[in-house]
Amino acid sequence: MIVYDLFFLLVFPGILFLLCLAFFTEWVDRKFFARIQNRYGPLYTGPSGILQPLADFVKLLSKEDIVPRAADRALFTLVPIFYVTLPLTALFIMPIMGETGLIAFEGDLIFLLFVFGLMTIIIFLAGWSSMSRFSIIGGVRSALQMLSFEIPLGIVLIGPAIAAKSLSISGIVQWQSANAAWGLWLQPIGFVVLLTCLLAELELIPFDIPEADTEIVAGWRTEFSGRKLAMFRLGRDLEVVLCAALAASLFLGGAQPLWLIPPAVVFLVKTIAVVLLFSFIRSLFARFRIDQVIAGMWKYVLPIAIVQIVLIELGVGV
Amino acid sequence: MGYASTIKVPFGPQHPALKEPEHFLFEVDGDTVVNVTLRIGYVHRGLEKGFELETYNHGLYLAERVCGICNIAHTVSYTQVVEELMGVQIPPRARYIRTIVAELERLQSHSLWVGIVAHEAGFDTLFMYVWRDREAIMNLFEELTGGRVLHAINTLGGVRRDITPEWETKLRKGMDSFEERTKDYLRIVNSERTFLKRTSGVGLLSPQDAVKLCAVGPTLRASGVKEDVRADDPYIAYDEIPFNVVTSESGDALARTVVRVEEMMESIGMIRYALDHMPSGTIKVRPPKIAPPGEVLSRAEAPRGELIHFGRSNGSAKPERYKIRSPTLANIPALCKTLIGVHVADIPIILAGIDPCFSCMDRMAIVDRRTGEKREIEK
Repeated sequence: MIVYDLFFLLVFPGILFLLCLAFFTEWVDRKFFARIQNRYGPLYTGPSGILQPLADFVKLLSKEDIVPRAADRALFTLVPIFYVTLPLTALFIMPIMGETGLIAFEGDLIFLLFVFGLMTIIIFLAGWSSMSRFSIIGGVRSALQMLSFEIPLGIVLIGPAIAAKSLSISGIVQWQSANAAWGLWLQPIGFVVLLTCLLAELELIPFDIPEADTEIVAGWRTEFSGRKLAMFRLGRDLEVVLCAALAASLFLGGAQPLWLIPPAVVFLVKTIAVVLLFSFIRSLFARFRIDQVIAGMWKYVLPIAIVQIVLIELGVGV
Repeated sequence: MGYASTIKVPFGPQHPALKEPEHFLFEVDGDTVVNVTLRIGYVHRGLEKGFELETYNHGLYLAERVCGICNIAHTVSYTQVVEELMGVQIPPRARYIRTIVAELERLQSHSLWVGIVAHEAGFDTLFMYVWRDREAIMNLFEELTGGRVLHAINTLGGVRRDITPEWETKLRKGMDSFEERTKDYLRIVNSERTFLKRTSGVGLLSPQDAVKLCAVGPTLRASGVKEDVRADDPYIAYDEIPFNVVTSESGDALARTVVRVEEMMESIGMIRYALDHMPSGTIKVRPPKIAPPGEVLSRAEAPRGELIHFGRSNGSAKPERYKIRSPTLANIPALCKTLIGVHVADIPIILAGIDPCFSCMDRMAIVDRRTGEKREIEK
């Protein structure tokens, strides 16, 4: 049995699969984003450039790794590692292979929120430990952004939990499967709010304020190079997978078996669909300013999220 | 002891928002800019001295290389100065060809700028689309002049190449499709909510300040001041071609965008009119080698604003003094004024708002440490 457990943990649906999925989503995102913009996107490495994210990763690994003299060396080194491990850990609770996640437990939704919070704190620490003006501004902006989207995100994640009477993601997926109802149909407002908050969490346009390249160079990532930058890029890809998987599981039914198609394939299709949705949205907008995001989140998104919960409590879409 | 209430944020000389090296030092209180210090001179090339060392004919090549993106405005000004010094009248057809390429250049320069301001606002999709459509104009240029960026079409006494009927057909077709696209961009910049949020009311410049600080070009017109050298002091064939001077009242970053996009529409109309009313005849007269003593000041409306060339001849084959005042330099005081009190996040959009072309305006100050004497070298 331990062989199976190791296989699950390390290969499928564990680390190896998740890393491949992360690189694949980056390619999907880059290619789709480029095609929308009338560009080619990755083209040369592998068929249609599918290996480009991996090639970028390997290349960055071999590059010089510079630590600024003023940086807090220990923190500066630790932060990229945390940035990869946190979303990777959180992905284990996602039901991928079937309707139960690898380490699913009652309350893992709360754990996921905790991970999202930690990610932002890690980003803030990354900016802070760099001791560069651009990094600090980026880190502070990231923290400010968290203050704006955390509350609506938390509220809107409660919606499916109330409907399924379970605080575990696997429980919510099973409930959707048992009732043949997707969260998307039952709580459409919640899905829109969740997408908005996840875009802010992922720092995608129109919320890419913490790393706005024309304003503050690369924001909190400015001083990182070589292996550390590679880790950040991998962590970002894993975070995209995590967010897409979350939206797919809570609102699109997640890894349901569909006729003869195995649940893992269904899960993949849904996750990639959410990634495409992310790319599509981020190609449509200009970047907001941080004060506009905070005001908008508190003035509009939070009340909308509360309205969704009130609707559920009133028995609409349960 | 205590902490300073402001932090200093440097922009440049190397910064992603600046395509050319200049140094802006922003004093920032929280998220608000309270002061800005500008240091220019990183790309000083000594061009004005270069004019004095070479003959009038050589000067043409230098004038072309003052600025890559508005090289036709510079050669038009240079040829005007030299032709006036020499007393040469260019043929009417040459005047029309110069006008057409000057307006084509305005189209490509403004569409480049729209792309850049979209990029500064984080709107990369618009950036990619505008630059894709700009390629059509570059190709038209290449076909007419042989060069995509530097065109070398203006020469002393006229133009080098004539417009063929085939090229004219292509140009008309290109203008038709470009007009469609430009209308689309006008709709996008006027209606896209996130773009409006970032540009509307940002970087306000009042008409009084704009005039007082000598702003020129679209920056001035976006503040509601109707001033355009093409209309006020017509040169080449602008006195025969009807067009509107586009202005906007609001004086913010959005107004600067809209003014430029609407100017593109005007330029398309002007190119069509010029093609319809093109006189026939020769395109070039032979200029003399030397110019009699005299001084000439020439104004032109470059895509970035009023461009001033000044030349003085002492009767030899080389100018005695040549001076260029490029529009970016004229807009710098207004830029520094608009930058005070804005959010840090708005800096790139406002910086891009004047369509800066730093290497054309660069100059340096030399301070003699022994005598404390200070003098400026321009260009």
